[in-house]
Amino acid sequence: MKNNIHTTILFLIKLILGITFIYAAYHKIADPARFAKILYGYAIFPGFSINLLAIFIPFIELVAGGCLIFNIVPRSALLLVNILLLGFVLMIGFNLLRGHQFDCGCFSFSNRPQTLSNIYLLIRDFLLLLSGIYLWRKTKTGVLQ
Amino acid sequence: MTLKEIKGSFFLVFVAVTMGFFYNYFSSSGIALFGQWETSNGVVNAISKAGSVNVSIEINNPEIVRQIIQKKERIILDVRPREVYEEGHLPGALSFPWMEFDRVIDKLLEITDRQSPILVYCSGFECMDSHHFATNLKNMRFTDIKVYPGGFRQWQEVGYAMVKNEK
Repeated sequence: MKNNIHTTILFLIKLILGITFIYAAYHKIADPARFAKILYGYAIFPGFSINLLAIFIPFIELVAGGCLIFNIVPRSALLLVNILLLGFVLMIGFNLLRGHQFDCGCFSFSNRPQTLSNIYLLIRDFLLLLSGIYLWRKTKTGVLQ
Repeated sequence: MTLKEIKGSFFLVFVAVTMGFFYNYFSSSGIALFGQWETSNGVVNAISKAGSVNVSIEINNPEIVRQIIQKKERIILDVRPREVYEEGHLPGALSFPWMEFDRVIDKLLEITDRQSPILVYCSGFECMDSHHFATNLKNMRFTDIKVYPGGFRQWQEVGYAMVKNEK
């Protein structure tokens, strides 16, 4: 019984992470120019890399999220998900620490950057990262299914 | 973490990058591999297939804009939302929000004609609204439209005078 509950929790975490990543990729794929401008707004990336990141990151999110849900190399997909989440947490945290106003563009594109909403985003991404790390630790190689 | 898992991640990245490249190439909303992210070259943008920036109509120099305003050489249009305009704007600028273009265009035609020199600005180098507004005016056969790409933010940064709550 206890084992079943634990398995269900792990399955739900996997589902939430996968759906979150697919949903996050959707807006970025639909409007890469807007996402590129948001990456520029982070004031972290060199100019030559912005368009390349705007083109490729959403598809990395989509592939990682999709593979996680559909159990295609799930441990590798989860590794990617966790690396991406760590990156998001570090970037949002860094900009909040230095007081830089920005729009994360995580799920949809807003008109005005808000510090409060960025703190919320940091907390949300941090919780997702903790979930991802928990899932990684609790699932041994080959048993994520 | 095993080598197999790491290799699997690299494989997924390879698949994603390939998908991204092909989708971007064929998509109508695709962007160039390298964008325009230097503010010294005007409004920053990804150079999209869906519509890019006409750099030739930009006046990318706040000092020249200041002189234009002082000499009243052009009608100055602030295309940011009205409430933002009221918080502060360039001297003599009129509020013509881009989001209300269809409504405010009649007002513009009441106060000027299509041959009058016009200068449009929005919030700054990251804002494309001034270019969108200018393009619409060009499509409506306005003949002398310029864009100030630095917009209100650069105007503030260089310390030039601004006006509040002028309607």
